[in-house]
Amino acid sequence: MHRLSALATLVLLIALFSFGNPAFLSVNNGLTILLQTSVIGLLAIGMTLVIITGGIDLSVGSVLALAGVVAGLAIKAGAPVPLGMALGVAAGAACGAVNGFVITKMRITPFVATLGMMMVARGLALQLTGAAPISRLGNTFGTLGNGSLFRIVEEGANGFPRVVFPGIPYPVILLAVLALGGAYLLNRRSIGRHIYAVGSNEEAARLSGVRVDATKIWAYTASGALAGVAGMVLMSRLVTVQPNEGVMYELDAIAASVIGGASLMGGVGSISGSMIGAFIIGVLRNGLNMAGTSAFIQQIVIGVVVIAAVFIDQMRNRQ
Amino acid sequence: MSPPLVAMHGIEKHFGGVEAVRDVSVALNPGEVVGVLGHNGAGKSCLMRILSGAMAASGGHIEVDGKPVRIDSPQDARAHGIETIYQTLALANHLDAPANLFLGRELKTRWGNLDDRRMLSEARKALHRLNPNFKNLGDPVARLSGGQRQVIAIARAIYFDVKILIMDEPTAALGPSETAMVADLIKTLKAEGIGIFLVSHDMHDVFDLCDRVMVMNKGANVGDHDIRDVTKDDVLSLIVKGTLPEGWAPRRAVA
Ligand SMILES: Nc1ncnc2c1ncn2[C@@H]1O[C@H](COP(=O)(O)OP(=O)(O)OP(=O)(O)O)[C@@H](O)[C@H]1O
Ligand SMILES: [Mg+2]
Repeated sequence: MHRLSALATLVLLIALFSFGNPAFLSVNNGLTILLQTSVIGLLAIGMTLVIITGGIDLSVGSVLALAGVVAGLAIKAGAPVPLGMALGVAAGAACGAVNGFVITKMRITPFVATLGMMMVARGLALQLTGAAPISRLGNTFGTLGNGSLFRIVEEGANGFPRVVFPGIPYPVILLAVLALGGAYLLNRRSIGRHIYAVGSNEEAARLSGVRVDATKIWAYTASGALAGVAGMVLMSRLVTVQPNEGVMYELDAIAASVIGGASLMGGVGSISGSMIGAFIIGVLRNGLNMAGTSAFIQQIVIGVVVIAAVFIDQMRNRQ
Repeated sequence: MSPPLVAMHGIEKHFGGVEAVRDVSVALNPGEVVGVLGHNGAGKSCLMRILSGAMAASGGHIEVDGKPVRIDSPQDARAHGIETIYQTLALANHLDAPANLFLGRELKTRWGNLDDRRMLSEARKALHRLNPNFKNLGDPVARLSGGQRQVIAIARAIYFDVKILIMDEPTAALGPSETAMVADLIKTLKAEGIGIFLVSHDMHDVFDLCDRVMVMNKGANVGDHDIRDVTKDDVLSLIVKGTLPEGWAPRRAVA
């Protein structure tokens, strides 16, 4: 129900922006939006899992940067790109596991635990690099972020190559695969059922034999790993590791989940909703950009949309 | 004589300075219904939660079938065939009835996926046994009535292989016909050899269904009697004053 109205909002936005500027609806711009949204989308998958358990993960933006730094350093030290990236994702997962451990075993609230991790991971990323970017990582490092599938280039009459179809960017494919995987786990596997149960009524879940701590640690680890994946995509797109990337990305991810119907009280949310939420934010940014709106105005608009989405949802639930 | 299904010995529970349960021992035999009575805050739920693994005891030990066991978690209790209908019902409000019924013990397909179709049909059968009019199985239980929610909690406890059933005020939210259904259910389970602890404030139900009553007063076991040895007034005196009326003798001996 919420997802339908979010989807309607998305369609409405697209119609509105295309009306204002026909270039908005081009294949190229569509792919640009997909590409721009993929990082927030990846973060939003993990954020949704965590929010459904009744928690929050403020650390994803910093973990993204730390994962990038780990990958960059590994590649600089001679590791092949795929291995370096795997290490980056593993570093993200490890940060998430620490979050889960601190929350369940040390009984620190998710807000505080992940706020701490946000600072620790950012500090580590800056310390390890001396706050300087890591560049010259080789062309392969840029493939994940800049390559695409089904790219069609034909030789024009004048001998110059002409791009018929720019191809589906790898980050978009990655986002689609991981979103589908996340939705599958959430809806079809018992871990997903337990995530909802823990967020809905933690005590009931415990009394029903759900391993509450393990379920939460699982969710935070997944969120950390996805932040790692997002870090790989972002750094690869820049072909440089930037230790100060990803600041405030956690807020976009939370906004995407909330616009998509997730409740910070726990027990409610869906991956599909969060993806729609991520695209609403992406389309707004892109459309407002094309309309020449300043980044400051964009912030204001997105902020209003977040509050409006939750307000409308509450109004409907009260009826 | 075979050992009791379950025996609790010298159970203690403290919350800081509050002594919720004080040196309580009680046993339950196969096919026996033991009523657990007491004023509000007497410690009934605490005692039951200790047996169901929901709460850790401060002292004492538990035997199942004469063998000492450790019950540290709800999973441990279930492994010994102990099922509980909690006073709080313990339902996840955002999940529907089948998801709640099978929570923690989901039915799965060959591939390990949730088998929602089978859980729905099994849940329908289990719920209709208690309330033939049970509809909206797909609704989140937050939207169901108090009685329907209670029926889900009861169905969940008896669906699986139960040997020892703990019912903490199972009929508090039920209408008369559902209450009668639960009374029938208790008789059926009893006939199957299942032992039942029934926590209740309803004297009529207790005398109708129980073989024995155990009364708690301020955390202590103040009386454990065959139901034929006591009258409602005797039990009331135990609940309120913690002692039997002056000059009491087992009613059977007198009669
Ligand atoms: N989690 C807890 N923390 C602190 N004190 C508790 C807790 N649970 C119960 N108590 C205290 O233990 C005592 C016994 O409570 P219990 O719930 O066992 O009573 P009860 O006999 O089930 O009462 P009722 O008939 O109202 O259900 C009460 O004084 C209560 O305040
Ligand atoms: Mg109670």
